Parts: sequence; C-alpha cells; structure tokens
Amino acid sequence: MSMDDAARSDDDIVVSVLEGRTRDYEVLIRRYSRRITLFVARMIGDNDEARSIAQDVFLKIYENLPYYRRENNFSAFIFKVARNMALNYIKRRRRTVLFSRLLGRDLDRAPFRQDPPRLLELERGEREGELNRQLRRLSEEQRLALVLKVYLEFSYRQIREVTGWSVPKIETLISRAKSRLKKNLRLQENGGKAVNPAREQ
Amino acid sequence: MNCRRITRRLSSWQDGELDAARSREVERHLRDCPACRGRWAGLRELQQQLLLEPPPADDPFLAARVMARLRPRPLRGGRLLRAAAWAAVFAAVSVGGFLLQAALAGNGAPAPAASYSSVLLEPQEFGLLAVHDDFLDLFNGGGREAR
Repeated sequence: MSMDDAARSDDDIVVSVLEGRTRDYEVLIRRYSRRITLFVARMIGDNDEARSIAQDVFLKIYENLPYYRRENNFSAFIFKVARNMALNYIKRRRRTVLFSRLLGRDLDRAPFRQDPPRLLELERGEREGELNRQLRRLSEEQRLALVLKVYLEFSYRQIREVTGWSVPKIETLISRAKSRLKKNLRLQENGGKAVNPAREQ
Repeated sequence: MNCRRITRRLSSWQDGELDAARSREVERHLRDCPACRGRWAGLRELQQQLLLEPPPADDPFLAARVMARLRPRPLRGGRLLRAAAWAAVFAAVSVGGFLLQAALAGNGAPAPAASYSSVLLEPQEFGLLAVHDDFLDLFNGGGREAR
C-alpha cells in the first residue's frame, strides 16, 4: 500500500470502486484483512477456516458495496458482514454435528464433514490453545462482545455500531464473559469441570 | 461504594469505559478493599492470557485471491461520460473519413453507370479476365444464336 493509498479514507476508496476502478478495492482488502481474519478466527476458534471465511467476507462486501451508505461507518459495515458470516458458519457447523450424531455417523469418515469429531477436537484443542477453546464455550453474544473489545480494541460505542446492542448490554456481556473465562480457566487448571456459559448469560 | 457495585464496574474500568468520577471511585475502593484488589488482579491476568493467544498467520495471497474473483463493475458517473466522449470522437472520425472518401471518388473517376444492365452490356476488364458481350450473353438467355 502506497503512502497515497494509506491517506485515503475508506469512503473515498468505496466511491472509487463504485465508479469502476475495481483495483482500488485491493487497498481496502489490505487495510482490513488482518483484523477480519483475526476476528473470524477468534469467533469460530479455527485459524485455517478463518482465512477462507475472510476471503468470502471481502467478496460479499464487494457485491454489497452499492448498498453501503457513506453516513455509516465502513469499519462497522465490514465487521457486521464478518460477524454474520462467522455466526452462519458456527450454526452450519452445529447443524452438521447434530445431524451426524442423529445418524450415528463417524464425522471423520463422512465426506461432508465440517466439524472434527471428538478425538480430533482434542488434538485441535491442543494445537489452537486452551484459551481459544474456552472462547468457543462462551455464548455467541458474549464471545462477539469480548473479541471486539479485547482483540480488535473497539470501544463500547464501536461495538454498538457493529452489533446494534445498547452500551449497558455490551458492558454486561463483556463483564460476564470475563468472569466466566476466569472461572473456566481456573477450574481447568485444577482439573475441574467448566461452567456452562449459556445458562448464566 | 460496596464491593458488589465495584465488581460490576471493574471490567468497564479495565476497558477504559468509565468516566473520570466513577474511575476515581473504583480506584479509591481498590485501595481499601483487598477482596476487590484480588478480583482486579484476576481480570488483569485474564487479559494477559487472552493476548498471549497467537493470532492467525498473515495470508499474503488473500488480496490476490479476492481480486482474481471480482467481476468488474459497470461504468458509472465520470467514466461513463468519458466513454461517451470517446464514442462521439470515433463516430465523428468515421463520418469524416466516409465523406472524404466520397469526395475523392467524385474527382476524375468515370461517371457511374446509369443502371445495372448497362454495366453488364459494356466490356469490363478484371485483370486477365476480359468480360465481353458474348460472354455476358451466356447469362442473358443462352447467347446470340438462341436469340
């Protein structure tokens, strides 16, 4: 990215792309790719899959650029799309796991496998780190708020632009997510069983 | 301020989301309350652990992959006007060229034949092949004998 590109605002680049200068879209991709990949990775707990979803996010954003309004924040716009795609992936994965369990199939052998079976999950847990696994145990709302705050360093107001939630709700979600993680990690260290986060949201 | 209220505010304080007056209250309480200081230490420890988690490796080819799959947008606004201007220039050059050619063809060239049949009845030279009336008669009903 050149100095000129770095100085251009997101909105200017969007206008340029909409006028037909497609190559300018690359500036936006380079500007956001690292953060979008990180965001999706923390949301779904899978770094490899996050890269593929990040690619789809940018394709989707390009298709939907005509619907972006300049009075909105482009950063919020792109993270909204990323959030939706990450949550869709989580739902799809959950459905696949449920479906496979109902059929009594071994997910590892099934050709349509999207989520690894329990044994592979243990290996993957080791690979990706305990914290990532614990993040996946939070409710989707708690995880979304916490990831935006801790990893993307969004303010509560910026989180509100992405999620549409009120600031007090965001405050509560983050606070509960932190205390849940604290409990889970300590219990994990002592060999105990983790608390079910969905019950206490 | 009691510990319960402080506990609720600790997370927002850590996130830098409390106003100055509330931040001072939290700080004052933490100085006097070892239990809340313990909770605060736990939050700090958690934050450090969360940030220890390595981020996904950068994907240097992401932009190239996305760009390769984009469909170019139809021309809009300024580009459309520019394209229309080029089209007008092209049309003007074409018409001018056509008129010039017509003008040059009119100077010194033989007068055009009055009709199609007159062209057929006059001897025509096409390189080595000379077309004469006899030959043309073959196409006009079988030759002179037949007439």
